[in-house]
Amino acid sequence: MSSEAGITAAGVVRSFGSVRAIRAIDFEAPPGEVTALIGPNGSGKTTLMLILASLLAPDAGTVRICGVDPLVDPLAVRRMVGWMPDTLGVWDSLTAREILQTLAACYGLAPPERERRAEELLRLVRLEDLAGQPARVLSRGQQQRLSLARALIHDPQVLLLDEPASGLDPGSRVELRSLLRTLAGLGKTIVVSSHVLVELDAIADRAVFVKRGKSVQTQRLVDAGTQRRTYRICAEPIEPLLEALSRHGFGFTSSAQTRTNEVDVVLDGTAHAAWLLRTLVEADVVVSAFAPAGGALEETYMTLEVGAE
Amino acid sequence: MNPQTEQVDAVSPAERTGRGGLPFVSGVRTIFLLEMRQRLRARSWYIMLAIWFVVIGLVFGLAVLTTATVGVDNGGVLFDLVVGFVLFFGLLVAPGLSANAVNGDRVAGTLAVLQVTLLTPSQILAGKWLAAWTASLGFLAAATPFTLWALALGGVDPLAAVVSILMLAVELGVVCAVGIGVSALASRPLFSIVTTYMLVAMLGIGTLIAFGLSMPLVQEDDVEVVYSYSTDGQQYGPRQPSAEAETPLPATDCQSETYRQTVYHTERSAWLLAANPFVVVADAVPYAPVPPSVRDGSAVYRQPGVMEFLSIGVREAQAGPDLEYTCEESYLGARELQDGQIPIWPLGLGLQLLLAGALLVAGRARLATPAHRIPRGTRIA
Ligand SMILES: Nc1ncnc2c1ncn2[C@@H]1O[C@H](COP(=O)(O)OP(=O)(O)OP(=O)(O)O)[C@@H](O)[C@H]1O
Ligand SMILES: [Mg+2]
Repeated sequence: MSSEAGITAAGVVRSFGSVRAIRAIDFEAPPGEVTALIGPNGSGKTTLMLILASLLAPDAGTVRICGVDPLVDPLAVRRMVGWMPDTLGVWDSLTAREILQTLAACYGLAPPERERRAEELLRLVRLEDLAGQPARVLSRGQQQRLSLARALIHDPQVLLLDEPASGLDPGSRVELRSLLRTLAGLGKTIVVSSHVLVELDAIADRAVFVKRGKSVQTQRLVDAGTQRRTYRICAEPIEPLLEALSRHGFGFTSSAQTRTNEVDVVLDGTAHAAWLLRTLVEADVVVSAFAPAGGALEETYMTLEVGAE
Repeated sequence: MNPQTEQVDAVSPAERTGRGGLPFVSGVRTIFLLEMRQRLRARSWYIMLAIWFVVIGLVFGLAVLTTATVGVDNGGVLFDLVVGFVLFFGLLVAPGLSANAVNGDRVAGTLAVLQVTLLTPSQILAGKWLAAWTASLGFLAAATPFTLWALALGGVDPLAAVVSILMLAVELGVVCAVGIGVSALASRPLFSIVTTYMLVAMLGIGTLIAFGLSMPLVQEDDVEVVYSYSTDGQQYGPRQPSAEAETPLPATDCQSETYRQTVYHTERSAWLLAANPFVVVADAVPYAPVPPSVRDGSAVYRQPGVMEFLSIGVREAQAGPDLEYTCEESYLGARELQDGQIPIWPLGLGLQLLLAGALLVAGRARLATPAHRIPRGTRIA
């Protein structure tokens, strides 16, 4: 393995006929971290995943998966990459266990290894009880979990998960989160796309925002402390709060999303927020809630959404 | 979920980045087993087998009755009939078994899951072809009771029987290969199934039409043709076996006349028939020659079956017009074709393999990843 683990993609372009699915995407996913891929519908996330998974060739740009170019040595890339598609394709009449064993065979695992690995993953995604059922009868969320197990079958270094959480119940989401954190802790490179930003807030270390086929911003979630964010403050009664905010020169807004006893205030990072909270409490304002209005990613997403229009 | 189990790492990182994929055979076997499992679990295959069995049974039963009433009690005729029907129905069934194998997976979203593994497009195609072929051989196997019955009636040359069955299997394999190739090329299963049927029809009927339409091209007017006929009114002439002895026939028994007429040089157009599956099977089977004793009238005339008839017809066409209808031919009712005649079936099979091979090669290019060009209106996943 080369020293350059993780994924780098620079200047990737891909069009389908006249549709320019990816205009210019620069993307990096370092090992040991969970990188979120965020963007509106049709922004090219799935297309980028396909390129990273060595299924689709980019029209231009360079892609390296752990230092290997998928165009030059796709098989080497495939040994390292586990890909979970956003569409659920299962072989209807095969059981969950058979599907996993077949995929293990497709990755060249020896027969006893296939069985061991299949059982292990069935346990991991809690499908042991349904392992003998034809995949046809599995529920959407169960099929989604099977699809995740399928992507993990050859214990890949790099995981590309296209909307893995869709259709999962809250319990499974929590499990998915802890699984991905564990895998990242093992030094694997993980890319997750999702539209549930609150979810990604909790999983991701960094996020790449794409919009209409362009990568528009990269954000580290640990940087969120210094990010300008909207805080929602709730006070009973609200008048002392409004008075205190005006006194210190803070602009505040109330919107359709805020209740009558809440206002939104834009603050420059966590230190600023802590200072304001202390000031309010010392001024005897009865603060009952003081928190970011949305997740860090949602905040960025909304500014990008509005900004480029 | 229990993330700790994730720790177990079977393949070392060094192995994981190693070049090269799976051994060819093991990849093909994986796909073959995957396909066979699905086929064996689908009820449709069994229903089709049952219908097939009933239809062949009906045809066979009718044929037994007819031959019995006509008085030809010859297993050879029945066997030939079974071979012809199995080929006919096989040509109808095999496209349905093969022509949605690849794009059906693409529609179901399972093809990309295979493409992203270490399997190569060749392995995927080969595995699917083997599975489709095996499934269609099931139909051949379902016809076994009838072939055995016909064999039990006697009169079938064992070598001819074995070659017949073998060639049936080969033809089914060719049609399956065509179906798999088309299904890799076309995006919609319905389209690929219809296309495969068209290609099979082109081989089965199109070749006949082409042969028929080519007749004016090989026509020659005003050719001298010599006809001989026996004057003693006997159908089966010479008293002594003449073929080996080459003894000239008694001239008094035979007279010749010369006519000028239009002839068709089918020896120039016979190759058009070559790729016809029925011709390939019929021409490849070494039918027992008509026993010499027939010629002196001591043996029973052996009725040729449908396939043997076809074989004789093709050889006649290959030989071209008979410009000199000799006395011996007049005795036998047919001319003796030269032994040195080149069999036409290798050409036919070659053409068929060329078609199937070209489709498979093109289909493999469609499955190659990372994909540069993908057809309009399809997604990889
Ligand atoms: N095979 C294809 N042929 C034509 N257009 C395509 C093809 N694949 C993708 N596109 C187009 O490219 C754009 C990006 O598609 P993509 O599937 O990558 O979006 P996405 O970001 O995954 O969207 P979503 O959030 O809805 O999953 C879309 O406009 C889509 O219509
Ligand atoms: Mg998508």
